[in-house]
Amino acid sequence: MSGRLVSALVAVSLILVLSVQNAQAQLSDAPSLTLNGFGTLGIVHSDEDQAAVVSSIFARRGAGHSSDWSAEVDSRLGLQLTADLTPSLSSVVQVVSEQRYDGSYRPVVEWANVKFDATPDISLRLGRVVLPTFMSSEYRKVGYATPWVRPPQEVYRTIPVSSIDGIDASYRHRFGAMTNTLRATYGQTNAKFPYVDASGARATGEAESREGLTLGTHLEWRDVSLFAAYSQVRLTIEDFTPLFDIYRLYGPQGEAIADRYDIEDKRFETISLGASLDRGDWFVMGELAQTESRTFIADTRGWYVTGGYRLGSVTPYLTYARHRILSNTSTSGLSLPGTEELDAFLDGILSSQPQQTSVSLGVRWDFSRNMALKAQLDHINHDAGSHGFLVNSQPGFEPGGTVNLFSLALDFVF
Amino acid sequence: MRLTSIVLGLFLSFIVGTASAEVVVVVSVQNPIESLSRAQLTDIYLGRLNRFPHGGAVTPMDQREGTTAHSTFYRDYLGQSPAQIKAHWSKLIFTGRGQPPRSVAGDSAMADTVAASPDVIGYLDSTYLGSVDEGDRLRVVAIE
Repeated sequence: MSGRLVSALVAVSLILVLSVQNAQAQLSDAPSLTLNGFGTLGIVHSDEDQAAVVSSIFARRGAGHSSDWSAEVDSRLGLQLTADLTPSLSSVVQVVSEQRYDGSYRPVVEWANVKFDATPDISLRLGRVVLPTFMSSEYRKVGYATPWVRPPQEVYRTIPVSSIDGIDASYRHRFGAMTNTLRATYGQTNAKFPYVDASGARATGEAESREGLTLGTHLEWRDVSLFAAYSQVRLTIEDFTPLFDIYRLYGPQGEAIADRYDIEDKRFETISLGASLDRGDWFVMGELAQTESRTFIADTRGWYVTGGYRLGSVTPYLTYARHRILSNTSTSGLSLPGTEELDAFLDGILSSQPQQTSVSLGVRWDFSRNMALKAQLDHINHDAGSHGFLVNSQPGFEPGGTVNLFSLALDFVF
Repeated sequence: MRLTSIVLGLFLSFIVGTASAEVVVVVSVQNPIESLSRAQLTDIYLGRLNRFPHGGAVTPMDQREGTTAHSTFYRDYLGQSPAQIKAHWSKLIFTGRGQPPRSVAGDSAMADTVAASPDVIGYLDSTYLGSVDEGDRLRVVAIE
């Protein structure tokens, strides 16, 4: 789907949403327009001053190196307009403002799609739609809807992209007291991210995802919810191509290394599983996500388990999470005279990949009808040699250490 | 023996009834439904089920958030607090897949709304039905 077609779809969604306002004046019952919003005001403190904690690879500033405290990690604001045009046709536009790759807060159109319900149980969406990789993908940015200050990084960081341009079909089926929703999503997206290049300078990269297919199933039965999804996408990050082009100059051996680690139209696969049990006064949930690709973004496995107990309006919760690399975390590269520096750089990338265990203890307080206040302590333990999910590490940073975070967040919806 | 348990049951229900307000689930008399399981009622109010067991479309109706009827209904029938219900709908609203039930202000408005359509299901304070005779237009649904 071309960028122009997507812009057209966004425009059509907006026009549909706005045109309802006129129709609404005439008919009080039929078409309706709903404005909803969500947001988080959060601050984080990190005790690691030689690297920064950020909420995703798309953000560049965080807590740690440049300032102990940061309000830029978790804070965001989202607005959503939903237009129910006819009982079977609706449109959603959602705009989110949060820290971006360039440090700005320019709002981004997160979703803009038109939904058609062929039957009450079969629906099609066209436009910019959610990328449903994980159990909580659809509301991963809505702090109020989740127990945590931020979704466990060990799972949600593996696929940071949250929406794609394309088409989405879902089929809901009931058998007995169970409801199962099958979903297929197909599309593409481009995402810009900040990084530090080989010379140590700040740069912006762009990840292109093409032919992205996600198949998922979500079963709800009383208090139990089960989720499974498989995604595959063809991923290209051209910014890293020059590095591997140097390897290609060294003949078949160099070609082999480039083919193993570059990101040129490579298939990237993700499998994720999730389960939750919510008994009202207590809940427990967990997810596991595994990624695989022949790139320098290693094969990974991340999982978490969260449990919480509701004492009236106060909900203490505990999360245990783990992220590790399944593929090689080192390479000897070509080991030819003249490639030492290049080999060391590639080895550095592989060995610093995120491998960590974290324990998070938090409490959520639903002090008002549409607002919740959360406080969370994270104790993160990096495996030997790993930088975890920290960015912007300074020469004084020691891999394999521990980091403690303290976060406060005010979540609201309206 | 049976009589004893009936008397005991009546006595217990009297205690429960006076200890806290009771909320009953109602539909229009045009709706053939007489009972629903707790799971079906839960699914209807959480947006997972859009049909009555007999096949007719269902539109759940809420009382206003913050009222006793609202919190009592969700506590007694769904076992959930208003904050949990809010969090549930925050998930669905921001998926673009659903909106929470519309709400009406008070038992009398609820009675009018439910009576007006066989698709609507609602709830109101049982004392209201004791003071106003709605028998010709509303039916209390047994929740099993």
